Amino acid sequence: MEKFSTDYFRKLAGDLKFDLSDEEIEALKKDFIEVEKQVELFETIDTEGVEPMIYPFEEATFFLREDEPADVLDQKDALANAPDARMGHIHVPKVVK
Amino acid sequence: MESRYTPLEAVLKIKELQPVLNAAVTIVDEPEANEAAGPLAGMPVVLKDNVSTKGIRTTASSKILDNYVPVYDATIVEKLKNAGAVVVAKSSMDELGMGGTNRNAATGPAHNPWKPDHITGGSSGGSAALMAAKTVPLAIGTDTGDSIRKPAAYCGVIGVKPTYGRISRYGIIPYASSLDTVGYFTNSIADAALALEILAGRDDHDMTSSFLPVEAYSEHLNASLQGKKIGVFRTVSDTIQDPVIKEAFENLVSQLKEAGADVEDVYMDETLMNLIAPVYKTIANAEATANHSNLDGLRFGVRVPGASVEEVMTNSRTAGFSSYVRARFVIGSYSLFEENQDRLFRKAQKIRRLIVDAYKELFKDHDVILAPAAVTTAPLIEQSSDVRFGEDHFEEEHMQLANFSGYPSLTMPLGLSDGLPFGINLSAEPFAEQMLFDTAAGMEAIIDWKEECPNV
Repeated sequence: MEKFSTDYFRKLAGDLKFDLSDEEIEALKKDFIEVEKQVELFETIDTEGVEPMIYPFEEATFFLREDEPADVLDQKDALANAPDARMGHIHVPKVVK
Repeated sequence: MESRYTPLEAVLKIKELQPVLNAAVTIVDEPEANEAAGPLAGMPVVLKDNVSTKGIRTTASSKILDNYVPVYDATIVEKLKNAGAVVVAKSSMDELGMGGTNRNAATGPAHNPWKPDHITGGSSGGSAALMAAKTVPLAIGTDTGDSIRKPAAYCGVIGVKPTYGRISRYGIIPYASSLDTVGYFTNSIADAALALEILAGRDDHDMTSSFLPVEAYSEHLNASLQGKKIGVFRTVSDTIQDPVIKEAFENLVSQLKEAGADVEDVYMDETLMNLIAPVYKTIANAEATANHSNLDGLRFGVRVPGASVEEVMTNSRTAGFSSYVRARFVIGSYSLFEENQDRLFRKAQKIRRLIVDAYKELFKDHDVILAPAAVTTAPLIEQSSDVRFGEDHFEEEHMQLANFSGYPSLTMPLGLSDGLPFGINLSAEPFAEQMLFDTAAGMEAIIDWKEECPNV
């Protein structure tokens, strides 16, 4: 599949679980010209030996806690926003047919 | 902190303004009584619509969350309630925080109270507009890439993005986790100092929140500028074209010197400055794509029917996200592909470090860095756009430096140009909020901002 072709974007959108219209794909084709320019710009910067900055600060603010239940939602709350809940479960179309 | 209105009066005022400002997504018709006798006792507050509120609809201005009613409060909501505050409205934002205009909200653009045909800025535009209209004394926002500070500048209010990790993000619908910061809008620096005392602090529910103690910022507030080392960010201020903004900014710099501050010009390499926007977009879009993969219409949110689980997800996400957000997800996902990670996402993270290292240097000999918040006033709604991936100008994006670095940063009003506000931006070293507020209080006294919105 040719990179940045209509099929390419359709597949990419499919992987992300949404559709794109033909107009949206045409707009993305223009965006990706800019994305590739961005890559070229990035390539002009020497980052040899530079560590990626993943978070602003490197001091640890996290820790392993005891494996004990905390902040448990009851079933009613857990299902309160489910679009379709039946008999205490979230209902979806049949998976195994 | 003082409120012009009781919670019920604030509700009525926000309703009255809604046809003009379109700044609220949900107005709480019957605000919950709060007997807590804290520093915000009986005061109405507005929350950006990405803050989870138990029993109050929370949409993040996205259609996919149109029916979502959280079953728990965000940590900051608990803190506000414990301080006596009453939630009166959830404010409009760019969908899921993605945008800088507030045009990209499911409920349509919010309007600037100073001139309603102009943008509020975004993504916390609704909160900024309701603050400028003086409906509440405190409005909550979030700031991933200037999303509090730009709308604050455009709407003529104070906007604070504290240090990354200073305020818990538990219960906030995320955008980009390495940049997202909870902050707020106020009408004075004293209020801003008090608000941080109420909102800040370690929260084990947010593993990025800091263990550092919260200071008594308002009690210790000292507005003296004597001896304060202020770096004037000339790389940005030299780009101001508007003569009114330029004159006001230079006047302020002169007055700071007269007030005893030690003022020096500082510069950053323009090659790095020009990389701010591309690095921001690469990181933010990639993190957003991952964060929002749970919005699929299955467990919560709006479900669009389909014959299979896959089809339900595809239909729900197609209908639930705007075209603009789906495009950003495509771009973000592309940079995370195995074959692109090193040249895009990882490369952006490495350049982020280079940019932050250069930014840190500015603070070596300075307590705060002063810059124009934006070099223009708010554009007309019809003339503004959120460019997805195109030409950028660093003077418009420079406040993202504080998101890259995690440094605390605020904007405050400086003046009016053709009836629209413009502001200044101040930043300090991590967790040096006291210094930030002190210096800002000194500038607040010099600027003496007394302008009132004509349309409210």
